[in-house]
Amino acid sequence: MQIKVSKEYLTELLSRQERVDQRGFFDYRSISIKTNTIPNAEGSASVYIGNTYVLAGVKLDVGTPMPDKPDEGVLVTSAELLPLASVEYEEGPPSPEAVEFARVVDRGIRAAEVIDTESLFIEENKVWNVYLDIYVLNYDGNLFDAGTLASVAALLTTRMPRLEGEQVIRTGDLPRLKTKGIVASTTFAKIGNAILLDPTGLEESFMNARLTIATDDEYIHAMQKGLAGYFTRQEIEKLIDTSFEKSKMLRSLISKAVSGD
Amino acid sequence: MVEIVLPGSKITSGIIKADGTYIENDSTYASVVGIFDEEKRHFIPLEGLWYPKEGDRVVGTIVTRRISVYMVDLNSPYKGIIMTKFEHSRLEEGDIIEATVREFKEFDDAMVVVLTRPKRLFGGVLLNIKPTKVPRVIGKGNTMIDQITQATKCSIIVGLNGTVWLKGGDINLATEAIKTIELQAHVSGLTDKIKNMLEKKGK
Amino acid sequence: MQKPELIKDGKRLDGRDFEELRPLKIVAGIIKNATGSAYLEWGNNKVLAAVYGPKEVLPKHLADPEKAIVKCRYAMAPFSSLEEHGRAGPNRRATEISKVTKEVFENLIMLEKFPSTEIDIFIEILQSDGGTRSAGITAAGVALADSGIPIRDIPFAVAGGKIGDKLAIDFNKIEDNYSDADIPIAISPNLDRVLLLQMDGKMTKEEFSRYLDMVERVSKQIISAQKNALLEKYKVNG
Repeated sequence: MQIKVSKEYLTELLSRQERVDQRGFFDYRSISIKTNTIPNAEGSASVYIGNTYVLAGVKLDVGTPMPDKPDEGVLVTSAELLPLASVEYEEGPPSPEAVEFARVVDRGIRAAEVIDTESLFIEENKVWNVYLDIYVLNYDGNLFDAGTLASVAALLTTRMPRLEGEQVIRTGDLPRLKTKGIVASTTFAKIGNAILLDPTGLEESFMNARLTIATDDEYIHAMQKGLAGYFTRQEIEKLIDTSFEKSKMLRSLISKAVSGD
Repeated sequence: MVEIVLPGSKITSGIIKADGTYIENDSTYASVVGIFDEEKRHFIPLEGLWYPKEGDRVVGTIVTRRISVYMVDLNSPYKGIIMTKFEHSRLEEGDIIEATVREFKEFDDAMVVVLTRPKRLFGGVLLNIKPTKVPRVIGKGNTMIDQITQATKCSIIVGLNGTVWLKGGDINLATEAIKTIELQAHVSGLTDKIKNMLEKKGK
Repeated sequence: MQKPELIKDGKRLDGRDFEELRPLKIVAGIIKNATGSAYLEWGNNKVLAAVYGPKEVLPKHLADPEKAIVKCRYAMAPFSSLEEHGRAGPNRRATEISKVTKEVFENLIMLEKFPSTEIDIFIEILQSDGGTRSAGITAAGVALADSGIPIRDIPFAVAGGKIGDKLAIDFNKIEDNYSDADIPIAISPNLDRVLLLQMDGKMTKEEFSRYLDMVERVSKQIISAQKNALLEKYKVNG
């Protein structure tokens, strides 16, 4: 069953501090995180936030380092808005939406130093590349938070392959990829003057601005404002506080999922 | 226990005319998932799409206005059209309307559902449910829809295309009732079940 | 690289009998936005199939005024293999599989009921271990039944062939790579139609006939898994 509302109806609801699905303005929908759902991959995690369903897969291959960071491994993040995930998604090269999505998730993970990139060094001019692929399987709003949760949970449970001569060994008893940090993002949608956490697909169809903030317990690691609307300074500062609060809850969900693995 | 029949299964030797079936070698086969009532020799599709029929009352949204037509989203494989030279309503993009199917025909290289007597519906909420569940939402002699309207005080219009318009009253409760009917349309005793649910959760 | 022994002590490397299928489980209706969908696990294969439509054809000039057109996408996730990361973008193998898969469904969907529309079938291989096109067709059949789009039958598919001098069914990846003949086949069981048939290798006509008999014997299990997926949707608690 699918619900559609008019702008007027939604505005009226919001003015009474109500949402279509009866959540509070700063409540998440139900979240589920499962790790190692794709055992062929070195790391993987499937996440549901409400009906939004995202899968992250991690593969490692031997490659060459970036010229400015010769001692570090490389993280390569891609995202696909699969055409099966929504009527709106079409087959073809990544849309600007998909590219922004991948880059924002990547930014939070990179800035929070989730991966210990120095541990990926093999020898001169030889490092491990970490390929993180985010697959959107069903769209119902808030891809950023689902994508970040899936990516972090996957990376934290990624098995580190072994190199035997030129051969990559991906099976057997392998250690975990070395990680340093953990991060979670919180995404807010602005509809008129109301700001809502974790927008559904329906709410996103009405939003005029969007703000994603990625944090750990101490620092902000990434921010991205999207769409043509605006936020005031006061709104942003208040959302940062909310973000720290919610990020704590999200990170504990990740930890629970990871330790169960 | 109902016997659910899957596409490709033979329903019966002999010919039955029903939506969701096809004939091959003088036997009738299912083309969608459904229930076959052996006694009444009646096939009820559990899954299926809406096949526009003249006289069907539908609910839709105006998507565009072209020179001589309005295009209507009916949440179906086909768009609806309202021909401005016959229907003198002033409609805008985004308006929700109820209308009647006049005919299903080719127009501008596509099949379209020609609609007549459009009436604007103001405000409210739309639900898109599976068209095969619509008869259950309405109920025999309107029993189901009447009990929902009474309990929730909502104005409700159920389109045969599977789009339902609700306004006023306890929309959340009405939505929950309709969602439950959609999921359990094939279960017997549903009317009573919904009655209990409405009593328990109503104000 | 030396060809590995695929048969040890009269059994296959993973311990299966020659006519034994890997465990198969299917769930219908998993992608809420799709008109119909199914998630399938077959051995280590993990496959998602979804159907959208019938819907308007764009660009318009591609529409057929007599019937719906079918579009099919088969694609493998870059993290799906046990080996290295797969590079993004369509490859020729996926293009061919998309085409032959589409042709299975063009036969079975009642296209004439929806002129001037398109029906999209998506098959995403999330994890692969041999026989993915067969897994994809088996899943897509369930997705179509889930969608309510009228079809004449639900097809199933399986791949097997010859390893050494033995016929075997449901190859995993290693068997697929080193078989002497590899034969994916898709069948409409109620109408008795072969809708996909590909073969690669070396086999006598007699061996092929025996292979078809084997396919018929294992078909019941596959069809049963498809049926259970659809019936499960209607099981109601309370």
